[in-house]
Amino acid sequence: MSSEEWQIVWFTAWVSALSTIVILPFGLALAWVLARFTWPGKSVVETLISLPLVMPPVATGLILLKLFGRRGPIGSFLHDTLHLDVVFTWRGVLIALGVMSFPLLVRSARVAFEEVSPRLEQIARTLGASDARVFFTVTAPLAMRGILGGMILSFARALGEFGATIMIAGNIPGQTSTLSLSIFQSVQLGQDADAFRLLGISTALAFVAVWTSEWLMRRKRTFK
Amino acid sequence: MSLVLKNISLPLSDFRLEVSAEVRSPIITVVFGPSGAGKTSLLDLVAGLRRPESAYIELGGGVLTDTANQIFVPTRRRGIGYVPQDLALFPHLSVGQNLLYGHKPGTTEPFAFDHIVDLLEIRGLIERGIGQLSGGEKQRVALARALLASPRLLLLDEPLANLDRQLKTKIIPYLARIRDEFRIPVLYVTHDRFETRSLADEIIILIRGRIVQSGPAQDVFRKPATLDVAELLAVGAV
Amino acid sequence: MSSTSLSRRRFIKTFSLGTLFSWILFAGSVLNAASVNVFAAASLTDALKDIAAGYEKQTGDKVVFNFGASSFLARQIEEGAPADIFFSADEAKMDGLDKKGLIQKDTRKSRLSNSLVIVVASEAGAAIKGPRDLASEKVKRLALAEPRTVPAGIYAKEYLQKQSLWSAVEAKVVPTENVRGALAAVEAGNAEAGIVYKTDAAISKKVKIAYEVPASDSPAISYPMALLKELKNANAAARFFKYLESEEAGRIFEKVGFTVRK
Repeated sequence: MSSEEWQIVWFTAWVSALSTIVILPFGLALAWVLARFTWPGKSVVETLISLPLVMPPVATGLILLKLFGRRGPIGSFLHDTLHLDVVFTWRGVLIALGVMSFPLLVRSARVAFEEVSPRLEQIARTLGASDARVFFTVTAPLAMRGILGGMILSFARALGEFGATIMIAGNIPGQTSTLSLSIFQSVQLGQDADAFRLLGISTALAFVAVWTSEWLMRRKRTFK
Repeated sequence: MSLVLKNISLPLSDFRLEVSAEVRSPIITVVFGPSGAGKTSLLDLVAGLRRPESAYIELGGGVLTDTANQIFVPTRRRGIGYVPQDLALFPHLSVGQNLLYGHKPGTTEPFAFDHIVDLLEIRGLIERGIGQLSGGEKQRVALARALLASPRLLLLDEPLANLDRQLKTKIIPYLARIRDEFRIPVLYVTHDRFETRSLADEIIILIRGRIVQSGPAQDVFRKPATLDVAELLAVGAV
Repeated sequence: MSSTSLSRRRFIKTFSLGTLFSWILFAGSVLNAASVNVFAAASLTDALKDIAAGYEKQTGDKVVFNFGASSFLARQIEEGAPADIFFSADEAKMDGLDKKGLIQKDTRKSRLSNSLVIVVASEAGAAIKGPRDLASEKVKRLALAEPRTVPAGIYAKEYLQKQSLWSAVEAKVVPTENVRGALAAVEAGNAEAGIVYKTDAAISKKVKIAYEVPASDSPAISYPMALLKELKNANAAARFFKYLESEEAGRIFEKVGFTVRK
């Protein structure tokens, strides 16, 4: 493995981890709301959240490209006001990974929250706790295993992301080159040996991630 | 300090909960009725865990719920202690952490930590995990936890429901002690005659969402208003 | 059940089965009907679609295209993708297939040439006068087709190297899947400039040519085409290939901006 290849592995790992951390507060908030409340139009929200799971990743990537491109609604604001570019930078990779793995986090966290008896939250409130305190001292600790499982699943999904990433960030050597993009590139170049090496690492990472997630979910404590 | 309930109205599965009553201190008012009569819903309304269709709820002169004027005090500010049917002890916290959850340090008598812990005789349990407690111990810990938050009103939902007669007999004195020590109104929901006989100072009979009879316990037992009430209380025919 | 209704049911059954069977036969024959699979460089998209439209009307044959980066297409062919004709944007990709014995050598023809241009967005595009400007602050990102594999990118890199500009711009390069991707990046404003073929710049109103690379500075651009050895429908493939070599087709290529080689 060359130093370039290690750089690619390292980049893929840290941007995947960062994307999981970035989506965490939004994902947990949304999951909690979905677990505890219903309202007219709830199914629309649920469907929207699930879209990146079901749509072709390049389609999602295309939407992101249009949104975050320099002429796009969000991209032009970022470029003009904050002098930040998203497309063709590591930030584009971050957004692609975050969007694609978001539904997995929300689903896992929602199930975890649904398994925390609402009675516990209610009693905490009678004891004087604010909503924030209830969330951090009662709901989240009891849902922690499911939340962690969801985070790891998101991380694993981010590790393997390709379609949306190549649309919004391209495969710029040293800047946006991830494991999956590099494997694709190596195949294009006819460098099968390189491709298989990267493939091996990619598979190993994914295996460890998913196995850990499954193990965590299996060891659910049953509290009521 | 009393709890005033006026014109509470809440649609339930196939009837309406409609209640007006006054719960005074320092006595135990038992809400007695068959299961499904709306007793738990009533407690939830008082605690602010559910919103009524219409109601006026006032505790110690302070308004908690007033639908006519769109006043609704959130649960955490009502100062109401609640021990639900399943006790809802926090399984991931130790007994001590559960007890201290709503407790402010430096609280004075009678809500001081040592006082309540000794009153309910749970000092030896503080380091334990919830899963290591027996049924009766859990009951006492749940009661203590609610009391340690300095409540102005205590709501108990079938607190002795899953205990055998022997255990009930053991815990009932604790409840009596609570009434005597804390001088706050206690609203005690049950469908058990034995508990009612042992603890009720006043009784409210709730059948299918309506108060069929209320008053001092002795009067209700001696003169049940209807046959249904008589059957519920298992007293001789009127 | 009466005998007449029984025989009627039998008739209906036989009729339906017969119809179904003949539809299957027909469909099969339609599927086997003359269709030609052409794998062609992305820059040839518009010209070839035009050519094929006319051809299909004339002959009734169907032409099916797979457009993409020549490198990608060559790889697909190596892995066994069903192509009849390969039309590449550089000789190297054709050489690769030749070495693997996949093409009919005697049909290979260097059909077209093209020229490189530097493009910027037509509205509020960067003020680029020549290649030196690519190294300046005006250009933060330069869109090229992947310079490691795609012909358009390889040509662009060769050109920049000859101009001694490659090391200055290398860090700014945004490599795209194929040359049309580079065009799209400039159109969308995500790159200040791009190097694409003149024929690509012509089809887009959203970009304008800032500088045309003179033939003397440009690397030799050559588009070879060839018939592959494994053909599904040899006659139809040869027919269309001949048409591609014709004067008629040549005129369409020139209209779009290619240089037809003799």
